[in-house]
Amino acid sequence: MTSVLLQPEHEFETQDIFVNMGPQHPSTHGVFRMVLAVDGEVVRDVLPYIGYLHRGAEKLCETMDYRQGIGFMDRTEYLAAFNAELSYVMAVEKLAGIEVPERAQWIRMILCELNRLSSHFMFLGAFGVDVGVLGTSFTYAFREREVIFDLFEEICGDRMMYSYFRVGGLAWEVTDNFVARVHQVLASARQGIEDLDGLLTANEIFQARTKGIGHISAADAIDWGMSGPSLRATGVSLDIRRDEPYLFYPEVKFDVITGTNGDVYDRYICRLQEMYQSIRIIEQCLQRLQPGPIVPERMSRLLRTPPGEVYLRTEAPRGEYGVYMVSNGGNRPWRCKVRSACLSNLQALRDMTVGHYVSDAVLVLGSIDIVLSEVDR
Amino acid sequence: MTSEGASTDLSSTIWPQVDKALSGISVEPEMGVLDLIVRIPRDEVIRGLRALKRDADLDFDYLRCLTAVDWEERGIDVVYHLYSTKKRHNLTVKTNLPNQDLTVDTATTVWRGANWLERETAEMFGVRFNGHPDPRTLLMPEDMDDTFPLRKDHPLQDIKILQGEGIAFPEEQD
Repeated sequence: MTSVLLQPEHEFETQDIFVNMGPQHPSTHGVFRMVLAVDGEVVRDVLPYIGYLHRGAEKLCETMDYRQGIGFMDRTEYLAAFNAELSYVMAVEKLAGIEVPERAQWIRMILCELNRLSSHFMFLGAFGVDVGVLGTSFTYAFREREVIFDLFEEICGDRMMYSYFRVGGLAWEVTDNFVARVHQVLASARQGIEDLDGLLTANEIFQARTKGIGHISAADAIDWGMSGPSLRATGVSLDIRRDEPYLFYPEVKFDVITGTNGDVYDRYICRLQEMYQSIRIIEQCLQRLQPGPIVPERMSRLLRTPPGEVYLRTEAPRGEYGVYMVSNGGNRPWRCKVRSACLSNLQALRDMTVGHYVSDAVLVLGSIDIVLSEVDR
Repeated sequence: MTSEGASTDLSSTIWPQVDKALSGISVEPEMGVLDLIVRIPRDEVIRGLRALKRDADLDFDYLRCLTAVDWEERGIDVVYHLYSTKKRHNLTVKTNLPNQDLTVDTATTVWRGANWLERETAEMFGVRFNGHPDPRTLLMPEDMDDTFPLRKDHPLQDIKILQGEGIAFPEEQD
């Protein structure tokens, strides 16, 4: 007797179902929503929705003095606020033609690279959770991140929203034991990276879950406007710190880390290796740091810029953080556009996710390392 | 935007190549603070952008940023920031749209990455991108299509979204 289940009229009919993820969902790293069309476990289509955290920072900047906009920049990119402030103040300095004293530039560089470390620690911790290491990687990463934040707090009084860079230099001098403290932090960070490296990288399950997932080709990545480690993981050697140097990056030695496959694993490795490079850069900066002024001698009380425009880009932890500032000669920007690295990186999400399992969609999203407040501004 | 001195040394920039790639299109160059800026009339801007991308010497394969600037009575400028990942040079392309007709062709046919940037520009400035594959709002609510927050005439105050009736601005209080 043949089984009834084998008869044609009893065959299963399948259909794609739509799954909503977010905006309140622990795996979306913020308020991000995506609708997945899934065929069983396989993702057939993805439709991302953003804008839940839109606060109109660009409009607010237009209504205030150039120097008041710095605080808004912290809040666009809260995991790497020094990098965000840097683009903004450098844009104003370029427009107004202000020369920044050397010491201020070296300190800016140190703080931006420390911020890159803290931001990548956040990535490693959260990414470990995405992969399924439960809380272990998170705890290790946050322990090290907290050490860096303690230093930031000593310098500018805040752990995340620094408002420490000023147009022309810095708000005030760093603490007396700054150099010794940075050395301490670096020693701890190096240990932390090694711990996380040991916990995650060689793990068989980790590798099985990340290799070959979320692949994107170099040509596609460039076409979508991706930048930062997500782009470099595809093998494109592009780093604004090296290609369009700012601050004193030409005077320090560091390698631009690139991947080969452009998958989730490569994006992880790129960030991990970049952290060692950041430590290398900071160590060289500390050697070159000399006493001196931190603001230009002549700074007028009223800051006006001549009419003009500048698109200033810097290499933030997530990629190109650009500030397009247009001046019409007043004391406030006529237009201040923030180019978000995550927004462009996120556009490629569909290309990277379709064809993979639902659980891998979470990994792909995590590997882009999105900060929704930067996407939405 | 530019001083007389700056406009004379355009030959040391990528302007000669840009001029060659855009032959047949009326282009006005000027030197910005960092990058060369060219203005292209809006009817030809997409043709120009495609020529800039295809030109072997220029090879602008990367769209850094796309946005707009509201110049009130002078219309709205749509601004494209281009970069070449191989040749490592930059170019800013601008096109002016008159207030009575804020439309321009989409750049998504040149770089796919223009998609969300154009959606944002559309909802913030009311610029319509002809032929855009996905003309929904990006950051704003789906039904907020009758007011454009980054325009200069848009007041900076709370707005009230009335269900099904549109948007209302409360009376100004002083």
